[in-house]
Amino acid sequence: MALFAVFQTTFLLALLPLRTYESEVLSEPLPLTPESLKVSVNSTRQCLHLQWTVHSLAYHQELKMVFQIQISRFKTSNVIWVENYRTTVKRNRVLHWSWESKLPLECAAHFIRMRSMVDDARIPKPGFWSNWSSWEEADAQNSLGRDPLFVFPKDKLVEEGSNVTICYVSRIHQDNISCYLEGVQIYGEQLDRSVSAFELKNVSFIRKKGTNVFCKVDQGGALGGIVLFVSKVLEEPKDFSCETQDLKTLTCTWDPGSDTGLSKQPSQSYTLFESFSGKKTLCKHRNWCNWQVAQDSQETYNFTLVAENYLRKRSVSILFNLTQRVHPMTPYKLFPKNVGATNATMTWKVHSIGNNSTLLCQLELLAEGKVIQQHNVSIKVNGEYLLSELEPDTEYVARVRCAYTNHFWKWSELISQKFNTAEAAPSEAPDVWRNMKMVSGHPTPLSKVHANGKILFYNVIVENLDKPSRLEVLSIPAPARSTELTLSQCSYQIHVTAHNNVGPSPASVIVISGGPGNEEVESGRVNGTEDGFSVSWKPQSGDATGYVVEWCDGPQDLPCVLQWKNLGPNTTSTVISSGAFRPGVRYNFRIYEISAKRMAHLLETKAGYLEELAPSDNPQVVMSNLTSHSFTLSWKDYSTESQPGFIQGYHVYLKTKAGEHCPPAFEKTVLPEDSVCCRHTIDNPEQKTFVVENLQPESIYEFFVTPYTSVGEGPLDAFTKITTPDEYSHILIRIILPMIFCVLIVMIICYLKRQWLKEKCYPDIPDPYKSSVLSLIKSKENPHLTIMNVNDCVPDAIEVINKPEGSKIQFLGTRKSLTETEFTKPAYIYLLPTEKNYSGPGPCICFENFTYNQAASDFASCGHFPVTPQAPPHQLGPLTSPENLLKALEQNYMNSLGEIPAGEANLNYVSQLASPTSGDKDSLPTNPPEPALCSEYKMQMAIPLGLASAPPSENSSLSSTTLLGQGEHYC
Amino acid sequence: MRAQRMRRTPLSVILGLLFLSMAATSKCLGKYHELLLQLRRQADHMQDTSTLLDPYIRIQGLDTPGLKERCRECPRAFPSEDALRGLSRQGFLRTLNATLGLVLHRLTALYQDLPEAQQLVGLNIRGFRSNIHCMSLLLRSSSEAETPEPTQPGPGPTPPPTPPSDAFQHKLKSCRFLRGYHCFMHSVGQVLREWGESRSRSRSRRHSPRRAPGDTAPSGPCRGGARRMWPFRRDRRLMPRGHLPR
Repeated sequence: MALFAVFQTTFLLALLPLRTYESEVLSEPLPLTPESLKVSVNSTRQCLHLQWTVHSLAYHQELKMVFQIQISRFKTSNVIWVENYRTTVKRNRVLHWSWESKLPLECAAHFIRMRSMVDDARIPKPGFWSNWSSWEEADAQNSLGRDPLFVFPKDKLVEEGSNVTICYVSRIHQDNISCYLEGVQIYGEQLDRSVSAFELKNVSFIRKKGTNVFCKVDQGGALGGIVLFVSKVLEEPKDFSCETQDLKTLTCTWDPGSDTGLSKQPSQSYTLFESFSGKKTLCKHRNWCNWQVAQDSQETYNFTLVAENYLRKRSVSILFNLTQRVHPMTPYKLFPKNVGATNATMTWKVHSIGNNSTLLCQLELLAEGKVIQQHNVSIKVNGEYLLSELEPDTEYVARVRCAYTNHFWKWSELISQKFNTAEAAPSEAPDVWRNMKMVSGHPTPLSKVHANGKILFYNVIVENLDKPSRLEVLSIPAPARSTELTLSQCSYQIHVTAHNNVGPSPASVIVISGGPGNEEVESGRVNGTEDGFSVSWKPQSGDATGYVVEWCDGPQDLPCVLQWKNLGPNTTSTVISSGAFRPGVRYNFRIYEISAKRMAHLLETKAGYLEELAPSDNPQVVMSNLTSHSFTLSWKDYSTESQPGFIQGYHVYLKTKAGEHCPPAFEKTVLPEDSVCCRHTIDNPEQKTFVVENLQPESIYEFFVTPYTSVGEGPLDAFTKITTPDEYSHILIRIILPMIFCVLIVMIICYLKRQWLKEKCYPDIPDPYKSSVLSLIKSKENPHLTIMNVNDCVPDAIEVINKPEGSKIQFLGTRKSLTETEFTKPAYIYLLPTEKNYSGPGPCICFENFTYNQAASDFASCGHFPVTPQAPPHQLGPLTSPENLLKALEQNYMNSLGEIPAGEANLNYVSQLASPTSGDKDSLPTNPPEPALCSEYKMQMAIPLGLASAPPSENSSLSSTTLLGQGEHYC
Repeated sequence: MRAQRMRRTPLSVILGLLFLSMAATSKCLGKYHELLLQLRRQADHMQDTSTLLDPYIRIQGLDTPGLKERCRECPRAFPSEDALRGLSRQGFLRTLNATLGLVLHRLTALYQDLPEAQQLVGLNIRGFRSNIHCMSLLLRSSSEAETPEPTQPGPGPTPPPTPPSDAFQHKLKSCRFLRGYHCFMHSVGQVLREWGESRSRSRSRRHSPRRAPGDTAPSGPCRGGARRMWPFRRDRRLMPRGHLPR
């Protein structure tokens, strides 16, 4: 057997060159099968690595071949990848090929095989594939431990935005396995009985410690997980530049962008590579790096900055000349020297650059933050410059920066230094003005330009021009701005000088006239603009040496802060501006002309608003003269001067109840709240009264008055309501009042003449006994004729009919016929004549000055009197006599008059019949009076109805009972 | 949470620096009770999970359902409270010192994960070990004749961990380790508190053990576990003469 093998090998070795020779000669392709195929797994990179050889090549022979590689997953029939790999093959040369798997290799077994074909141009005929190699299995699961659940890939590093496939391998074959990405469940695809895969798309960076992905068996079972390290994408360095400060060291800077460092991956590194010298350096910092300039005077540099991490590499390059990238260091030791009132010398130093290099330095002088001077100075090491035209006692800032003279690249950083110039005497007289009311002088502080130092005090010299006398000198310490001088009615000249440490200023002179100064001048208006008030005037005399415009800065209701402005003699207008001016405030400007004698004469006054506003309040309106057709409104207390704008007039609003028709001179308008009313416009601001006419009587009106300016009218306040009176009421008042007066007069007169009236209108009833007529009759006609006496009347008979049997009233009196009588109905008492032979037409009851009930008389002619059964006997008893009856009547009559109101009393007239034959009781039956005689009334008395017909009740009044009781009597 | 940590940080730094300075100057408090009180307070502070475990969980992204529970398991890598009670005082201190030495070593490995917290906790542990050293000296001076007792033979702290197989396992293991550290310090605090109770008991045996006001043990990071009422076998014998309660 061994012999056979040796023989076979020898035969093949002999045959191979022969075959090779034949192939070269015959140009026939040979099936060169890949051999020694080995497959390995790189879990870190998730790669399958293949290596193989082709032994069937001749010695030193090189052929271009193509290898077709098949990869299957889980089983050989499940081919997932086919690729043709072209390469040049040499005898015994090991070939390599890698394939990166998207699915973690630990989750599935992979099978690989390949075949080859000659793909060389030297072999014209089309080749054919060799036989497939045998399947090689790559199974990373064999290396797993005994854990029940695995998740892959472990610790994978990817860039943000990548797609990642993860998988788990379960050895417990349970279905209740859930997977989570940062606590959020994810869903995938089951590849095998125990393998599931999840594709994470566009993964994002969460934290440097990695993104946690884990799977677990539900209800606290096994847990497996991975950390997915998601790196931010490495950015290309931005703003890469290099410069030198001393031509010895280059400093390159850049913007690194995001840090891509993770637990799995350090932050990106930066490497600086110079192509001309071939040198490179690893930078220690993220955003800058130093490079030592070569001593061989290399001028041109080509730098490449490479940023790199595990996943990516980025680079950026620049090419420059060294001398064109010089950025000098900051100058130092900048100091002022020999500082005077108007000049100073600045000195400074710079760091030298190379040998005999010149720097261009820029010296700037700043005052109050603004550059006022700028000078360029070329220096090598020491710089010096004389600054002139400075202001005394002023703070300045000097600053210096330098640049490389040969080629300007950048200014160095600035170095600054403050200094103050020395003081000088004030260069200008103080601006002085006076307030005549206050009799005070107001020197304004000198501007810093003219003060030339700190003003310590002001000297005020007062000279009386009318009475030459000694000068009065006042020293006012600064910072006082005014002083008060008490002057007499003389003319004065006042000199004011300002003093600082160095000396006095020129004097400012004003002259104050001794006159009253209350001259009437022209007044006008001035318009305000954003720049201020543009004031103009007309010069009066030709010898004016200047003009002064004065005003108060604040509102009129505040104390005046006097301001003024001096103007030249040829000026007739100026713009007054002040930061204190406010919209809606009235400012009054007074323009003075300064004469050659330095005396001020008021030329004009002007008033204006910086910006007019609508009135802020409305006038207090008083209504008067209200008639049925008109009323008057007045608001005379309203001040137009203190309003936030020039009052142009007033609007009078009138609301009528109907709201339909407006009185004449009114027009309809719509208020802001959409209500319709009438409006009348008064365009004269001085007219502060208005008569609203043509109104309807007995109507309700509402009025409201508001001023208006050019901007608008005042606020809409509440309307005042009035009601016009009746049209005739005034007439009635004119009539009724005099009538009442007249009645009063009449009443007074009647009261005073009541005795006379009584005698005239209702004289006392004459006493028949005292009548003269009686004596006359007695003496001439009938000596027996006399006056009938009531006491002589005796009742003839009483007949009671219709006796009721209801209630019983116990009479306590002595009259037996009545004490036991019971009444349920009114009883009628008939007065019958006692004489049996009386056959007259009927009894006629005659009373002398007596009263009877009219109602009773209605029942029967002088015959029937209703009697109420309630009449108590004790009252009835005494009345049986005529005297008692008369007394009771009189008493009850008077009582009734006093107790019953007049309005409730129904008056019944009681007739009185005078008996022509009364007075003789014997003659009465025999000479019954004729009915005609009964028509004579001697007297009528008014008796209330209640007295006459009292209701049949137990509470009947005494008067009614008494009256009814009289019905029992007749005479 | 952040504000709470900021409030605790200066306290931790002060305590750490204080204990470090004590260790550096090798000056020990000569009074047993003061030293015991310090140890107790340090143990209470070190069992607080907000100093180490909570920030670790937050930084590593383990504060999600499903993972947080895995950090609550107290590993057996540390001696249990019962095991600590079973030790003599010297043995307890030796075990405590050794365990904290290993914790310190492990924390060094966690420096990349918790740079700030690790530094503070490291200072605390060093200060605590310094006080352990002083307590050991104090006990030794009072019982020179005592036979040295070996370190607790139980499970004890594990040797330095092998490099984790992957980052996920490393996170979980470190998390459990920190949980175990806090549990262990809770147990240490309980045992030290019973040292104080032994003082009361020795003063008045009629009284049951009782904590002093203000000496309330904080709720620890581990649950369960019965406490022994009288833990030490040679308690009285270990009292330093002139310093320990009689």
